[in-house]
Amino acid sequence: MEQKLRQEAKALLEQNKVDWIIGFEPGSLKFTATPLITRDKNDTERLIINPFIVNNLADFLTGIKGRVGIVAKGCDSRSIISLIQDNKIVREDVVILAVPCPGLIDLVKIERLAGKDRDELDDISRDGDKVTVTVDGQKKEFAINQTLFDHCLACELPTPQEYDILLGEPGPPAPELEVSGQNIAKLKEALPAERWEFWQNEFSRCIRCYACRNACPACFCQRCFVEETEPQWVMPVPRWQDNLIFQIIRNIHVAGRCTDCGECERVCPVNIPLRSLAREMYGIVDELFSFKSGMDKEALPLMAHYEQEEAEDLFK
Amino acid sequence: MADKKVGKKDIAGLLEQWSQQFAVFAPSKESGVAAMAEWDGKDISFLDWYRNTVVPPKAIFLPPMEELFRFQKGKEGYNIEPPPKDKHKRLIFGVRPCDARAMAILDMTFEQALEDPYYLSRRKSAILVGLGCTNPCESCFCTSMGTSPTDQTNVDLMLIDIGDDFLIEEVTAKGKELIAKTSGLKGATKEDEAKAKQAKETAYNKVTRKLDTEGIKDRLLASFDDEEFWEKTAAKCISCGICTLLCPTCYCFDINDEMVKQEGTRFRSWDSCGFPNYTKMPMENPRQEKWRRVRQKVCHKYEFYPMTFNVIACTGCGRCIRLCPVNWDITQVIESVPARTEAKK
Repeated sequence: MEQKLRQEAKALLEQNKVDWIIGFEPGSLKFTATPLITRDKNDTERLIINPFIVNNLADFLTGIKGRVGIVAKGCDSRSIISLIQDNKIVREDVVILAVPCPGLIDLVKIERLAGKDRDELDDISRDGDKVTVTVDGQKKEFAINQTLFDHCLACELPTPQEYDILLGEPGPPAPELEVSGQNIAKLKEALPAERWEFWQNEFSRCIRCYACRNACPACFCQRCFVEETEPQWVMPVPRWQDNLIFQIIRNIHVAGRCTDCGECERVCPVNIPLRSLAREMYGIVDELFSFKSGMDKEALPLMAHYEQEEAEDLFK
Repeated sequence: MADKKVGKKDIAGLLEQWSQQFAVFAPSKESGVAAMAEWDGKDISFLDWYRNTVVPPKAIFLPPMEELFRFQKGKEGYNIEPPPKDKHKRLIFGVRPCDARAMAILDMTFEQALEDPYYLSRRKSAILVGLGCTNPCESCFCTSMGTSPTDQTNVDLMLIDIGDDFLIEEVTAKGKELIAKTSGLKGATKEDEAKAKQAKETAYNKVTRKLDTEGIKDRLLASFDDEEFWEKTAAKCISCGICTLLCPTCYCFDINDEMVKQEGTRFRSWDSCGFPNYTKMPMENPRQEKWRRVRQKVCHKYEFYPMTFNVIACTGCGRCIRLCPVNWDITQVIESVPARTEAKK
């Protein structure tokens, strides 16, 4: 799959079909990959595909000028489609190099299972439904659904539907919805007062680094509401109340755009379980509007279009 | 005078003793993220898991947010109400040498460049008790940045892991005074000192990431206008604030007033040069493009700080590498800065 990717990416640049390639290359730490954004055909030799290609690369599309060949897992492809629906990018300017994704390995879960930090592990390898972690020469085996990101366990589209070049055989969706939703289910069982206290604690440690917003492909506003000063919707001071309001408004803004790619939670340096909010909103959007963002290229953007009959319901 | 030592199992007792005199801070995950927090009076489990905190100890002296003062609008203008005087004497237990060095670097800004009473009132009365690393992270590169996993230079007391005990090195007068008043310590033997020496060497050799900073100030100066280099360097950066806000030497802050009716509060909170708004002015933003902001971050640490204070404002703690959502790696960036002769004019 990697060989094919490198050939295709190189050819796209050589034949001047794209100006940029966005993919992954090996990261500088163990078990990491890092985004590679390049115009140089020689760089394509470094492109990789492995269980650690965690970033949603669609995030880079709105900040780049020109035609782009982009490596896309299912979740990335949904974000790309959502951006097309919102007129943020043009389909013809994007060449989608589709990766059938069997799920990404969550190093936080691996650390918990292995009882060691990621840099203390010798090896992590996947074979079908098993993941083998080598620690101090000892091999430990885990079931795949213990090791994948929650959002991967809930993945509805492992292989992009919309693509230009397919790398490898498409895989079936293998949702483990129950496992992926455990944290959210627990929260929903709690009393409102307990939930309130839970989120108050979680947002007390937010430092307002905005990594959740900046890693989110659906957060494409040129000027975010938190940066508005007249009126000032929310204080830029990291008080838990302001932090919570920021995140709630952010969730409302990406409703119908969020594809549950899980990046907000993955990038949070202070471990706030942001996907719980995002996933809940994703579910609400589906329930109210039967809409799943990024699944259908022809669908109109949920929150940016209007149908006349809606008025009947809204303004009785 | 010979060094003292303390049994690992006696650390709770030691902290208990110090709690009588100080507000004791120690590594904790209680808040949901590893940070220095007020010690709860019993938990010393950090001795097992602690490598370094995610939130650097600078947060104790320069908190993510603080009230500078409150104010009321009266008939005759504003009445300013300063915050209550901070009388806490803090003892920070378990500071890593990289972070202790970072505190010394922050002092240059908050004491030498301009006296910041908020920072200094907390800092001057505080005692830093260092804890030498035994298990540095893959992302650590302290030995390239003028310090080491067991460097005692910037703490008052330094603890070195020698098995069942910690050897205590008394570094400053403040540290010596505290030890003189502390009971329950044992005298260290020649053998203990030999063990400590060995532990230091072992820890030093475990730091495998190296960075050659020779001539970096000049290389950065020469590459300042190399737009192509900076654009390439910044390409994958998503302009979040993780690497700056959680950097132990970054100190930029924002000031905001919040006013409800006639009363208000002036807040100071962490800010980042990575944010586009950081340099936004009424007419323009000199760092609108991402590459200019990335350049600022790198140059501030490796060029401007050395120009002002003759020290690189990076201690190799590796947080920015470990925590970066896209694995933007400062050591790779510094190594790739073109040499003077190659720089484009």
